[in-house]
Amino acid sequence: MNLAAFPASIGTPAAFPGHEMPLNPSSAFSRSASALLRRSLRASLRSISPMASAAAPTSAPAAAKATEQRPVQVAKRLEKFKTTIFTQMSMLAIKHGAINLGQGFPNFDGPDFVKEAAIQAINAGKNQYARGFGVPELNSAIAERFLKDSGLQVDPDKEVTVTSGCTEAIAATILGLINPGDEVILFAPFYDSYEATLSMAGANVKAITLRAPDFAVPLEELKAAVSKNTKAIMINTPHNPTGKMFTREELEFIATLCKENDVLLFSDEVYDKLAFEADHISMASLPGMYERTVTMNSLGKTFSLTGWKIGWAIAPPHLTWGLRQAHSFLTFATCTPMQAAAAAALRAPDSYYEELRRDYSAKKAILLEGLKSAGFIVHPSSGTYFIMVDHTPFGFDNDIEFCEYLIREVGVVAIPPSVFYLNPEEGKNLVRFTFCKDEDTLRAAVERMKTKLRKK
Amino acid sequence: MERRLSAASRRSAPSPIQQLSHLAQRVGAVNLAEGFPDFPAPPHVKAAASAAIAADLNQYSHVQGICDILAETAKRDHGLDVDPLTDYVICCGQSEAFAAAIFAIIDQGDEVLLFDPAYETYETCIQLARGVPVYVPLDPPSWTLNEDKFLKYFTSRTKAVILNSPHNPTGKVFSKEELLIISRACEKMDCFAITDEVYEYITYDENKHISLASLPGMQERTIITSSLSKTYSVTGWRIGWACAPASIASAIRNIHVKLTDSAPAPFQEAALTALTSTPDFYSSLKKDYVVRRDFILKLLEDLGLRISFKPQGSVFVFAELPRSWELSDIDFVTNLINSAGVAAVPGRGFFHGDCDSESYHHRYIRFAFCKGDDTLMTAALRMRKLADGTGRKWLTGSGRQEDQTASASP
Repeated sequence: MNLAAFPASIGTPAAFPGHEMPLNPSSAFSRSASALLRRSLRASLRSISPMASAAAPTSAPAAAKATEQRPVQVAKRLEKFKTTIFTQMSMLAIKHGAINLGQGFPNFDGPDFVKEAAIQAINAGKNQYARGFGVPELNSAIAERFLKDSGLQVDPDKEVTVTSGCTEAIAATILGLINPGDEVILFAPFYDSYEATLSMAGANVKAITLRAPDFAVPLEELKAAVSKNTKAIMINTPHNPTGKMFTREELEFIATLCKENDVLLFSDEVYDKLAFEADHISMASLPGMYERTVTMNSLGKTFSLTGWKIGWAIAPPHLTWGLRQAHSFLTFATCTPMQAAAAAALRAPDSYYEELRRDYSAKKAILLEGLKSAGFIVHPSSGTYFIMVDHTPFGFDNDIEFCEYLIREVGVVAIPPSVFYLNPEEGKNLVRFTFCKDEDTLRAAVERMKTKLRKK
Repeated sequence: MERRLSAASRRSAPSPIQQLSHLAQRVGAVNLAEGFPDFPAPPHVKAAASAAIAADLNQYSHVQGICDILAETAKRDHGLDVDPLTDYVICCGQSEAFAAAIFAIIDQGDEVLLFDPAYETYETCIQLARGVPVYVPLDPPSWTLNEDKFLKYFTSRTKAVILNSPHNPTGKVFSKEELLIISRACEKMDCFAITDEVYEYITYDENKHISLASLPGMQERTIITSSLSKTYSVTGWRIGWACAPASIASAIRNIHVKLTDSAPAPFQEAALTALTSTPDFYSSLKKDYVVRRDFILKLLEDLGLRISFKPQGSVFVFAELPRSWELSDIDFVTNLINSAGVAAVPGRGFFHGDCDSESYHHRYIRFAFCKGDDTLMTAALRMRKLADGTGRKWLTGSGRQEDQTASASP
């Protein structure tokens, strides 16, 4: 069943930010929304087959124009756009009072000095349109930080573009640089906006699967897939949902393929500050790669301010120009007061980042221990705040069934990652947990899993 | 590596508004070009935003209360019955709402009708979605919609009509009769309408903003877009929305989620305060803008420009260069920036389609009057100084070479 809510009578889980929804159990809306969903969620969850679904109820019959009363001819590109799994899981979580380790945003807030900077900016009147590609002090702060992190010196005005979150950086990059019919290679599992946005651009998507337990890049398979027809390769490192970090060897291998075949490289590095077991390496810093790479990042994950929507793309001028064109017609400009505050944030001393890693390491330890002793097969995660585990010891056929059971019987939410693959079958044994929660929440969730999960 | 750019992005050019704005910035010009206020946003709205940040409302969010309030307002002001649970999509500004709406309904080759002159962003969105923009000229001097002419632009490929009312750049508020023309055509041709109603609370004299969706047969086929920006003077906050029947809103939402995921959380919270401002707020808003409008109209008339159409709404006046003035809109604006230190926008960027150099496309200048008293007074002083004495010839374009060397810049 397709969850894009055609016809509208199937419970559309209303207007949630599709990918990560806040728990708001006390709101009147969530009560009525629960009722709305009860009808449809079970049915839809059972039969979900998101990406591979050939059914395209979005394409109205050709005769609609002449004879129907309503012009529900939404665009064909919407075949790839479904109401997301995060929304569904979060709704179910509310209904069951489950502890949510599915949604990838913190239940604690950002640092005071950044919030104060935003309040100051609002009071100082910084509330009108910012320069389209970013407030100068933020562009500079981004360039300074990037120099520290990667060793690369970039021009803040010509090579840095501020966007509404990394999500928009991705959308602008793809819509600005990809032509219909262009071939783009992704690594599955992938963050759900990549494939959808590529389909908006009319791209031809190929996915190379990263497989458990180490999610290493299958080099020969990748080599066979890249050709002179390939326009771009997209990577996400540290990687959501597996926690994998691309190694120098893998990056060098990919770089060689890019240079040999004149391929662009789009790198989503939002979790770069959450690198635990290895050092983060930016592809742009490899020899010969800067000229063909777009490096994307954001404020949200690093500073626990995911709702501020401050992201950016760093790229050489000829690529920046294209993504800026798309950006200026997608959102025109990015939130002004938050940009001022983001500049303050990015100038935080190294001690901020060290403390961030320490705090998250402690949280990770709690979850890791808990998942292991609860009986999951735990796959190593070097970065991000996600851990990918294998749920098969518990005897379920697929990830969605397992996750439903986890919510209903154990009271914990996790994300079924089959939605992140072109072929959902490849993800059915896996589950993604997040540890971007305060320690009490993590402990409580771990306790529930240890006591209630039953191996088969 | 320019060939690496997508065809769509290569077609789009940097905004002429933004380029002249850079020149204006370089010379420190008084900015009557871009349509954003330089007076402070309302204190109660700013306070709400600060409170939200301090209260830790900073993670991904959808503030349902916004939809609830908008639905009530839609019912009260326009008689529209909308479902706040399903019919709204909160976006990063009306810009994103419009982009998402276009991507939701436009397929390759679909034609989209726009009224000329038009805000420049619509076209590029349509082209990014591989649609075809088609311009229907409004007739000067009053920018009227001619029904016969309008109907001729429809083809079997027409998917949607874009309506911006109150209108940028002319300040026109489409009348009930004109809206009926549009609605009848949309119904007959079974098209969508996408409206841009960002200036909905800024109307003058007896002109009333009517939402196209409230006309018979229109709600089911109309996507309304609007935002906080112009009403509450917070153009930099990026809080806007699309409103459409549930199935269409769902499609728009799915696109929006992939474009930006959500709108800035603390400003969504502040929107609850903004959208429940007292009736006094809206009447003051109008009153203040009337004063500004009348001030600028007088100033421009004294300068010798023709006001062939008095703004009925929005924050813009589209002034005409008199026939006897031998210079184009671009020349006039460039001179105005360089010599008077005042910036405005040449009208030609809003017109589309071929024309010769004598065309009225090159005879209009857009001035924004969403500016504080100081700004307007300074602009007045500088422009009056230029208009008196030797500057006058420069302005009108006759003998301007000599005058440029003779007259000192202010």
